[in-house]
Amino acid sequence: MDTIISLFLIFIGAALINNFVLHYFVGICPFIGVSRRVDMAFGMGCAVTFVIAIAATLSWTLTFYILRPDAPLSAWLWKALGGNPDVSVDLSILSYIAYIFVIASSVQFVEMYVKKFFPALHRSFGIFLPLITTNCAILFACLEIMKNLQGGDQIWGLHHALALSVGGGIGFTIAIVIMAGLREELELCDVPKALKGPGIALLVAGILAMAFMGFTGVDRGVADAIRTLTHN
Amino acid sequence: MDNTLITILLAAGILLVIAVLMALILGWANIAFHVPTDPKITAVTEILPGANCGGCGFVGCAEYAEAVVKGKAPATLCGPGGQDTANKVAETLGLAIGETWPFKAVVHCAATREQRLKQTPYFGEQTCAAANLVPGIQGCVYGCLGYGDCQDVCEYGAIDMVDGLAVIDVDKCTGCRACEKACPRGIITMIPFKTEEVLVVTCSNKDKGVLVKDVCTVGCIGCSACTKPSDGLIEMVNDLPVVNYDKDSSGIDLNKSIDKCPRESLVFIGLHKDKKKAKGQPERIEANFATTIDQTEWRG
Repeated sequence: MDTIISLFLIFIGAALINNFVLHYFVGICPFIGVSRRVDMAFGMGCAVTFVIAIAATLSWTLTFYILRPDAPLSAWLWKALGGNPDVSVDLSILSYIAYIFVIASSVQFVEMYVKKFFPALHRSFGIFLPLITTNCAILFACLEIMKNLQGGDQIWGLHHALALSVGGGIGFTIAIVIMAGLREELELCDVPKALKGPGIALLVAGILAMAFMGFTGVDRGVADAIRTLTHN
Repeated sequence: MDNTLITILLAAGILLVIAVLMALILGWANIAFHVPTDPKITAVTEILPGANCGGCGFVGCAEYAEAVVKGKAPATLCGPGGQDTANKVAETLGLAIGETWPFKAVVHCAATREQRLKQTPYFGEQTCAAANLVPGIQGCVYGCLGYGDCQDVCEYGAIDMVDGLAVIDVDKCTGCRACEKACPRGIITMIPFKTEEVLVVTCSNKDKGVLVKDVCTVGCIGCSACTKPSDGLIEMVNDLPVVNYDKDSSGIDLNKSIDKCPRESLVFIGLHKDKKKAKGQPERIEANFATTIDQTEWRG
C-alpha cells in the first residue's frame, strides 16, 4: 500500500503540484514556441510524454546499474581493475553527458523507426521529435530520477521513475494545452505592440503558474486521507 | 593501480562503450529503416528558391517539389522563381512547359481617404475586418477601407498605406496571396505580369455611375468608353470594365483606353516604376446630402 501511495504522490506531484513548466520553469521553449494552436500543442504534449518516458527508462537503467554510487556494474569493474575495496566508486559526474548521449540517440532511433513503419504518424507528430531531443524538461526528469538514486532512505525503482516521467509529461501536456487555448483567445485581444507574441505569452504563463500554486499541499492531504481510510 | 587512474579509466571506458553501442544501433537503423526518397524530389527542391511563401498553393517548397515530381502540379507555379526556375524544373524532369509569368497583387481601388466619402466616424477596432462589419462608415461599400489588414499580413513589406489607400510595390511583391486572403472586401487580386506594364482597373464599385459619383471622386462610372479602343480586351461586367489577361495585348494601344477614361479608374501598373498619376480630379469629395445620407427613420 505504501508503494502505491508513494507512486501516486510522485505522479500527482509531477503532473500538478510541481508541474515541470509552471513550477520549475523547464521546457519553456516548446511551451512558448508550439502553443499557438490547441491541436499542435496537444501533439507536442504527446510527443514530450512519449520521449520523457523513454528517456526516464533508459536513464534509470543507466544510473541504477552504472552511474550511481556503488552501482553493481561499476563496483564489479572497480574490483576487477584492482581498486581499493574500502572506497566506493561513484560515476555520477558522468550523468549529464551520458543522459544527453543516450536520449539523443534513442530519440533519433525512434524517429527513424516511426518514419519507416508509420509514415502517417511521422507526418503529424514526427516533426516534434527532433525538436525535443534532450530538451530541458526531459533532462530535468532524468536528473530528478538520478537525485533519488544517490542513496538515502529510499532508492527509486523503475516504477517510481516511470511515475515521475509520465506524470511530468501529462503535466506538460495540460500546461501547454491550457496555454494554447489562452493564446488562441489572446489573438483577438488588443495587446500593446511591445508585448505582442512571446512577451504577453510569458506574462500569461506567469499568471497560470500562480494559479497552479493552488495545488500546493493537495498531495499530502490526499495521501493522509488514503492512509487513514486503509488503517481503519 | 592508483584509485584516481582507475576512476578515469572507468569513466572514459564506460562513455566509450555507450558511444560505440549507440553508433552501432543508429548505423544499423539507418540502413534497416532506410526510406527511399525519389532523387528527383531532392533535385527539384534544390532548384526552387526555398522561400516557402506558399504562393503555389502548397505548404512549402518541399511539398510543391513532391507534387511536381508526381505530376500533380505543373512546373510553372513558382512565383518568386519565375521563368528561370520553371525552365530548370522542367529540364530536370523532362517536361514541356509553356511560358510562365510572375503573379503580383494589385489593389482594385484608387481612392485615397479624402477622395472617398466617409459617412460616420468609426472608433472601433482599427482593422478592415472589423470595420467591414459596420454598415455606413464609408460611402463606397466596395472600396478600400484603409486600416491596413493587407499591410499587416505582408511579410515582404510590399504594401504601404498611402493617404488611407493600400499601395503595392510590385517589385517587392512575391505573389504569395496573403493580402488577397486578408482583404475583407476582396479588392486585391493576383494578375499575371506578362509585360513590364499591365493595365489594371482600379475600381471595384459595381453601382451605376450616378451613385458612384456621390461617394467617390475617382471611381468608375461604368461609361464603357474604354472598351471601344481596346479591341475586345476590355469588357463590361456589372458596370465595371474587366481586362482579359489571357488575351494577347500586343498590338493594341492601351493608352487610348486610358485617355478615354473620364475618371481615374484605369491605369498602368508597371514593374520598376511608380503608378501613373491621373489628371484633374478634385482632391476631396463633398457629401451630396440628397442621396448619400441614410434617411431611414428610427421607429424604436
